[in-house]
Amino acid sequence: MLSRNPSSAGSGLAVLIRHNLLLMRREPGPLLSRLILPVAFLTLLRPLYLAAWRGGATGSQQAVTATLVTFSLLALSISGSAILTERLGRTWDRLRATSLSPPSILAGKAIPAYAVLLGQQAFIIGFAIACFALRVPHPALLLAVLLTWSCTLLCLGALLGVLVRSVGALSASCDIGGMLLSSMGGALVPLAVLPHWVRVVAPASPGYWVARALRSAFAGDAHGVLLGCLVLASVAVTCGTIASMRLRGSGGRLAAL
Amino acid sequence: MLIAEGLVPRPEILATWRPGLGRAGLSGACPDGGDPMLAASGLVKRYGTRPALDGFDLTVAPGEIAGLIGPNGAGKTTFVEIVSGLVRPDAGTVLVGGLDALRSGRAVRRLTGVAPQELALYQTVTVQENLRLFGGLAGLHGRTLDAAISRVLDELALGPVAGKRTAELSGGQRRRVQAATAMVGSPPLLLLDEPTAGADPQTRSALLAAVRARAAAGTAVLYTTHYLPELTELNATLALVRAGRVITRGTQQELTGHRRSLDDLYRSLTVPAPEEDSDAVA
Repeated sequence: MLSRNPSSAGSGLAVLIRHNLLLMRREPGPLLSRLILPVAFLTLLRPLYLAAWRGGATGSQQAVTATLVTFSLLALSISGSAILTERLGRTWDRLRATSLSPPSILAGKAIPAYAVLLGQQAFIIGFAIACFALRVPHPALLLAVLLTWSCTLLCLGALLGVLVRSVGALSASCDIGGMLLSSMGGALVPLAVLPHWVRVVAPASPGYWVARALRSAFAGDAHGVLLGCLVLASVAVTCGTIASMRLRGSGGRLAAL
Repeated sequence: MLIAEGLVPRPEILATWRPGLGRAGLSGACPDGGDPMLAASGLVKRYGTRPALDGFDLTVAPGEIAGLIGPNGAGKTTFVEIVSGLVRPDAGTVLVGGLDALRSGRAVRRLTGVAPQELALYQTVTVQENLRLFGGLAGLHGRTLDAAISRVLDELALGPVAGKRTAELSGGQRRRVQAATAMVGSPPLLLLDEPTAGADPQTRSALLAAVRARAAAGTAVLYTTHYLPELTELNATLALVRAGRVITRGTQQELTGHRRSLDDLYRSLTVPAPEEDSDAVA
């Protein structure tokens, strides 16, 4: 019986991660826009938030929360396109035909996208700290929210990447869906000033839970952070499970959808 | 010589086996009495109620180029996809190097290099970077990987375009890159599904020469095509597929007996059935 001296699974995973980082470097446009737009938005709209909260730290925190949630939702396209381009280019089957296990293929796609999503949020927070003296009294709580939210975004994006059939459809889904989830979740504009029906449906949006968790993190409310993270984690698990089930079989092929 | 050129399946892949040496443990047998690299038996695959494979049997020996021919929809690509681990059959067995492809999928995929029918390359990276990915996933690294990439670039006359993005290449060059990604890891089983479809004569010539060299070094090659002269040029054995099963198998000499052309044989045996000649199930 043939056998071979197997290279470690970790080595194949490292090869795939390196390759996916290379793919991102070769198409830096989407990544740059996801970094530049939020800081421009934050700079221009922060005075409005400061005025609404009559200045002080809370105004900056609200501006950062609104920017971070809105633009991180728009960055769903990063994880979505990581999957979709493999399907459109038929390279997903090429990867499946290698000795990499399905979890390794998914991890190889997910880890670079996760790093980018987390990096985008860290960049927004860092920019606000450096330029607007944003105060982060409980960095551990904030980090917990960012780590969980990035995971949720990754899985939501992966699900979109599996379900849509074209780059245009992905772009539209991310733009419309991102704005809807963000605004209806009360991230962009506080729920208190939105119509009653929006307040009723808001908890259905992950944007609501991340905005709530971020505000809790700024306020040092560990219980609020935990609750938000649990809801976001359950959304991540649900979306991630569906996406990986679709990708494991022939669902990774565009023709099969 | 061939080992020095790196064309034979790599020793680390064939930890307990090398072409022409110990073959103990492989099941099934080839016409020459040796053990097959690929042995498929009784494969059945249905898409809905339509059978794509219906009792498909085939063995391919180390060093053999097996030409799989038949009309569109006969089941050739489905078979390649099953051996590649992309599609699971409803019944039957597939052994690659004696390993059950359905139970030991990952181990089997380490032994195979696949060039699918449709072009499937990363367009935004260079030829070399595509090869680096697939060579790396085949377990190569460092200087060994560099040497394997350099070798396959020479083999397929891709050296001048190694630094170009795949998207900038001609169709024929992309075809060669696709084959190169299958060959770069020097697997003992190559699955080439219509590798010259739409290719220019230069591409065809380079590909056929590379396939012949790989087979001469002991690699088993499953080669599907609609261009019958290629099979003569490759001196391939033939498996004629129709309606999901192999209806004729043998060498070209055995099947044509020098009395008629390969083309005549093909036409006489593969008059399309109503359910064939459709791309619905390739």
